[in-house]
Amino acid sequence: MDTAIQILVSGLTLGAMYGVSTIGLSLIWGAMGMLNMAHGALLTIGGYASYAAVINLGLPMWMGLPAAMLVSFVVGIIIYFMIIRFMYHLEAFETNIIVVTIGLAIFLENVVLKIFGAYPFAQPFALSKGFYIGVVYVRYQTPLILAIAVFLMLVVAWLLNKTRTGRAIRATAQNRVAAELMGVNVGRVFAQVMALGGLVAGVSGVMISSITTLAPTMGYDPMLKAFIICVIAGLGNITGALYAAFILGIFEASIQFFFGVRFGFPALLALVILALIWRPYGVFGRRVATRA
Amino acid sequence: MAEPLLELDHVTSGYDGQTVLRDISLTVAHGSVVTIIGPNGHGKTTLLRTISGLVQPMSGEVRFDGRSLRGRKVHEIVALGVVHIPQGDLIFADMTVRDNLLMGAYLPAAHAEAATRLAEIYTLLPTLDERQDQIARTLSGGERRMLGIGRGLMTGGRILLVDEPSLGLAPLVIDQIYEVITRLKNDGRTILLVEENVGRVSELAESIHLLDNGSFVWQGPPEELQLHQEILETYLGG
Repeated sequence: MDTAIQILVSGLTLGAMYGVSTIGLSLIWGAMGMLNMAHGALLTIGGYASYAAVINLGLPMWMGLPAAMLVSFVVGIIIYFMIIRFMYHLEAFETNIIVVTIGLAIFLENVVLKIFGAYPFAQPFALSKGFYIGVVYVRYQTPLILAIAVFLMLVVAWLLNKTRTGRAIRATAQNRVAAELMGVNVGRVFAQVMALGGLVAGVSGVMISSITTLAPTMGYDPMLKAFIICVIAGLGNITGALYAAFILGIFEASIQFFFGVRFGFPALLALVILALIWRPYGVFGRRVATRA
Repeated sequence: MAEPLLELDHVTSGYDGQTVLRDISLTVAHGSVVTIIGPNGHGKTTLLRTISGLVQPMSGEVRFDGRSLRGRKVHEIVALGVVHIPQGDLIFADMTVRDNLLMGAYLPAAHAEAATRLAEIYTLLPTLDERQDQIARTLSGGERRMLGIGRGLMTGGRILLVDEPSLGLAPLVIDQIYEVITRLKNDGRTILLVEENVGRVSELAESIHLLDNGSFVWQGPPEELQLHQEILETYLGG
C-alpha cells in the first residue's frame, strides 16, 4: 500500500510538472502550427522572473507568480513583433520557425546566464512544508502544482472554446484564409496566442523550478517531455495533453520504482515509439482526412 | 443605372509576377446581380481574390463604395462590407455548424446582431438549423456549401462575392443552392457571382461577363448571349 502511494505521489508530481510544461507548447502548436523551440527558454524566463521579483526586488513571495506571468507575457508579445510578424505569411513558416526559435532559445538562455550567472538558485515561490499520507511525505508544493496545471488547462480550454477571441484562434488554426475572409486579423490572433502561450509558460517555469532548481538550462528537460506529451496527445490537443502527462508521469514513476531511476526515461521513449506506430496521429488525437 | 457599389478600373493581377488577369474593368451596381463565366483556370477565382484583398492588384484600382481598396488588408476589406464566399470547402472543419456561423459574425458590428442573423439564416437554410451542433467536417458537400453561404451572410456585408457555388455538386443540390441565391437576389442583395457555365446564371444575372485567358471577351445581358451561339461554342463548348 505504501509502495502504491509512493508511486502515485511521485507519478502525480511528475505528471503535473509535465502537464504544466506542455500547455503553452501545445497551445502555440495547435493555434499557429508553430513548433516553438524557445518554449524551454520561456519556462526559464518565468522561473527567473519570479526569483528576481522576490529576491532582487524584495517583493513578497506570492508576487513571484504574477511577476513571472507579466514578464513571460511581454516576452511572448516581443517574440511576435520582432520575429513571427515578418514570417507567418511566408512559405515554409512551419519549418523556418523551428530554426529561428532554436536560435532565439540560445539567445534568451544566454541573456539569463549573463544576468543571473550559471549558479543554480532555489525558487522562492515554493511551499516548503508538507504532510504525510501513510509513511509517504508530500510537499504542499505537489498538490499546488497539480491544482495549477488543471486550472491553467481549464482556463485555456475555456478561452478557446467559449470566447469570441478563442473562436477566432480556433478558426485561424483550422483555415487561415477562411478566417481572414471572416474579418479576422490573423496577425493579431498570433500576437494574442504568443502572449497567452508565454504567460502560461511563465507560470509553468515557476512551478517546475520550485521542484527542481533555477538554472539557465532548466527549460530543456521539461520542453523535451512536453514534446513527447504533445506527440502522444496529438498536436494541439490541450485536454489530451493533460491526460497524457499524468499517465506518463505515473508510468515513469512505476518504471523508476521497479527497475531503477535510470530506466525511467528510456521506457518513456519506448512508449512514445510504440504509441506512434500504433496511432501516428496521437493517442488522444483524431485522424484527420485531408483532401488532395 | 444605379450608382456603382463595386468598381474595377483596369485591374491587372496575378501571383508572384505571373499575370493572370489583364486590364479588367467592371462595375457592379447597388442591388444588382453580375455574373462572370468562363472556363476553369482563366482567372475567375483570381478576380474575386483580388477584390477581397487575398491578392494585391499589380496595376489598376478596385473601389468599393467610392473608396479605393489599394493596400488594405483582407480583414479591413471585410469590415467595409465585402463578403467573399470562397470556392470549395473553406469551412472550419472541426467546429460545429453553429460555431462556423458565429465566426461569420466575428467583426464587432456583426457580433452585435449575431443572434438575429443566426435566426434569419436558420430560416433561409433550414438544414443548418437541423445540424447546428454537428461538426462541419461531417456535412455533405451541398450542406458545406450552404454553410459557406450562411457564414458569409452572417458577416452582414453589402456585396456577396460567390465563387462557383455549384462546383462538384449533384444537379438537385445545385438547384437548392440557386434557390437560395435567387432568394438573396430578391431580397435586394448585391451579388457578384462566378460560374463555369452559363446555364444556371442566365435567369439570375442582369449582366454577364465572359472571362477567357485573363480578359473579358464579351459582356452584356444574358438574353444577348443566347443570340451569340458562336461565343458560347468557342468559349464554353456550347
